[in-house]
Amino acid sequence: MKPNLVCYHCSSTILPGELLEADLAGVSRSFCCPGCMAIAQTIHGEGLEVFYARRARAGERPAAYLASNEIPEKLQPYDDPSLRSRFTRPSGKSDELETTLRLEKIRCAACVWLCEQHLRGLSGVKDVQINYVTQKVVVRFSPSQTSLARLIFEIERVGYEAWPFEPSLTLERSKKERRQLLTRLGVALLGMMQVMMYAWPSYVGANDITAEYDLLLAWTSWVLTVPVMVYSAGPIFQAAWRSVLSFQQSHMLGMDVPIALALALAFIAGTINLITGSGQSYFDSITMFVAFILAARYVELLARQDAQGGAEALAKQLPATCERILDYPNSQTVALVPVVNCNPGDVVRVPPGEVVPADGSLIENASALDESLLTGESKPVQKKIGDRVYAGTHNILNPLIMRIEAVGQSTRIAGIASLLDQALLAKPVMVSLAEKWAAYFVAFLLLSAFLSSAIWLYFDPSRAWTVLVSVLVASCPCALSLAVPTAMAAAQGAVTKLGLLIVRGHVMEGLVKATDLVLDKTGTVTMGQPELQEIVCLRPGFKAEDALAIAVALESGQKHPLALSLLRAAQDKQLSIPTLSEPVINILGKGLSSGTYRLGSAVWLGITSKSKVGQYGQVHLADDAGLIASFIFLDTVRNGLDDLLASAKRRNITVHLVSGDDPATVAWWANRVGITSFVGAYSPEDKYDYIERLQNSGRFVWAIGDGVNDAPLLARADVSIAVGTGAPLASAGADAILTTVSLSPLAKTLLVADKTAVIIKENLLWALVYNLLAIPAVMMGWVNPWVAGIGMSLSSLAVTLNAWRLRKA
Amino acid sequence: MESLFILIPLSLLLVGLLAWVLGWSVKSGQFDDLDGPGQSILMDDDAPAPPKVSENSQK
Repeated sequence: MKPNLVCYHCSSTILPGELLEADLAGVSRSFCCPGCMAIAQTIHGEGLEVFYARRARAGERPAAYLASNEIPEKLQPYDDPSLRSRFTRPSGKSDELETTLRLEKIRCAACVWLCEQHLRGLSGVKDVQINYVTQKVVVRFSPSQTSLARLIFEIERVGYEAWPFEPSLTLERSKKERRQLLTRLGVALLGMMQVMMYAWPSYVGANDITAEYDLLLAWTSWVLTVPVMVYSAGPIFQAAWRSVLSFQQSHMLGMDVPIALALALAFIAGTINLITGSGQSYFDSITMFVAFILAARYVELLARQDAQGGAEALAKQLPATCERILDYPNSQTVALVPVVNCNPGDVVRVPPGEVVPADGSLIENASALDESLLTGESKPVQKKIGDRVYAGTHNILNPLIMRIEAVGQSTRIAGIASLLDQALLAKPVMVSLAEKWAAYFVAFLLLSAFLSSAIWLYFDPSRAWTVLVSVLVASCPCALSLAVPTAMAAAQGAVTKLGLLIVRGHVMEGLVKATDLVLDKTGTVTMGQPELQEIVCLRPGFKAEDALAIAVALESGQKHPLALSLLRAAQDKQLSIPTLSEPVINILGKGLSSGTYRLGSAVWLGITSKSKVGQYGQVHLADDAGLIASFIFLDTVRNGLDDLLASAKRRNITVHLVSGDDPATVAWWANRVGITSFVGAYSPEDKYDYIERLQNSGRFVWAIGDGVNDAPLLARADVSIAVGTGAPLASAGADAILTTVSLSPLAKTLLVADKTAVIIKENLLWALVYNLLAIPAVMMGWVNPWVAGIGMSLSSLAVTLNAWRLRKA
Repeated sequence: MESLFILIPLSLLLVGLLAWVLGWSVKSGQFDDLDGPGQSILMDDDAPAPPKVSENSQK
């Protein structure tokens, strides 16, 4: 085996016997599989080879069927009228259709570019719009020349995956909300810019300006301020009004109340001054204030909208099509049909490697299913005839035949999804630090404004109104409203670089408060992937390497997790693999044999094995003379777990291990990584209750998980993080998504969270000190509005710069 | 200075026009993806124009 021979397309190591070579642009390139070769040929064939120079990361190994130009059978049903009408909509002129596809396996900008260029090159495709941020592509095509299945297949042919996306109402609404706020912000910014320009003569104290020009500038400012007040600030007034109406119940006034009050009073006072022709007009302050507030809100909205909906994630978890046996048990002919067209009572076949499309019972061919996403159980579960199988689980052994008992919303996985939605609703709303401070500040502000106005009314009624407005304007909660969002934005930028994608805004504040950390086992604490731990019971005369080499020779071409683990072990040791004289026979459910060599379970080989708790599994190699060696596999601990546990310990966070795996295994792992509080065999509902119990006893719970069975737990916890490689449903329930394999970014995130809390406190303190100094001065009538304006801007700037320090974290 | 009487209303018209342009560009989705166009300009330079793909693009 030549070392460092890697595939040109996917950069994976080429195994012996797999090497393929092809001539591309005059250079001979090596490939690991026909799929990779086909993709590279497609890309080169279209003159898009610059992709290889520009991509940031190598791809994954594609499916082998890509080598042919035929649309594979599993995609054919997308052209079935029932599915096509669901995923496409008529577009514009004549008979063109439009569809939205969600791209998968996108790793860098070059990937998006390649997909776009490839689709554009297809005949029948009229228009391609790719959104780099959401990774969705909108394709307009003419159905007479190409089809939905062809589009999906063409994306697979350049090495990516796509699935049709049903645009939901919420998505449409959030898009509208985003665009509306952006327009409001733009109008406010334009208004601010122009009004400040007209206010320039009064800033520089131009005394030579005559009265009629002054009047012209003032009225023009007024005309520009009206749309800012009505259109841009409209939602602020609405929210303030709602907050006043609900004061009876909530006993708290929102931030919008003083803002709306200040805006309204300043505008009315300004207009009165303008008509009477004396005093300040405040229009510059009003427009600037509105623009700043809307800018902060827009940033916040963008972060919030990145969250993915539960329904969308559920659709991703299940296959779109399945193999239905029309005339069971008389014939075994299968027809590929969309899952949406299946009903309870139908009989479907699920080949190994495929996902079970619906809940049902097994009626033919016992098999093993990987239920880890649903239950957290790491080892494949053996299923006999009559056992229940669940939608969303992976069949890994035999082609099983099942009778459907529940589809769609009545399946177990849909039940978990609805539990997730329920949990998101029940999630305790965290009153953020800013809101708490703002409430005190608002009360203080209103009190002081009216108090000072009342006192002035007693001494000098003519100035009472001016003082009331000045206090509200000068005390501008600008710095206060910026204090938290700027710090949050900077902290989010810093942790995104570490590899944590924040979906809901309260993560940084929540991490600081966390008292309990709840971890899932499979896929979170461990990788859920077996590694060859040791080779035992070696027969005298055999070296461990020889036994491994024979085992690998037997397993070559197998996709079972244990087989892949053996292959990796052989690669690490750079073993040369012998060729077997006899062909390898795969005895389903038992093992492999070739000549006298047999590799498989202890029962099949007729030996007794001592299984230790915590093991992923064992396989044994034997020949006619008996056992040669036993291979023991162990799940691997996720990188960086030590860092996370160590920093949790430093902060006195109690760590819990809550798993769906069997209690003995959980106990073994808890002991191994050093977690004292652990429970096993917990269903998703149990996990949900576990969190609820902790919360009811006053704990602030931080949860990390990856599976579908963790989704309700993640949604319920006060702060939750999903491991990015896990189930889409888990990510839907989580507040943040970890994009790295290692857990150590979380330990660093804790430090950033601490720093963020400190900076937010500094900012709030600064805003408060500024206001405490400014308000009495204004109350005494010492400060004229433009000095107050400069002070206000400087205090906002100080807050923003202070927050910026977090970027370097 | 009298020119201000015409210039300032003109600036108002200009602001109105800008607001309309902004509204139009937001509605047509130009602000939905701020990364994509920048990336695709970098991607597209000096790359040959992709030829129309036939139904079978393999050699």
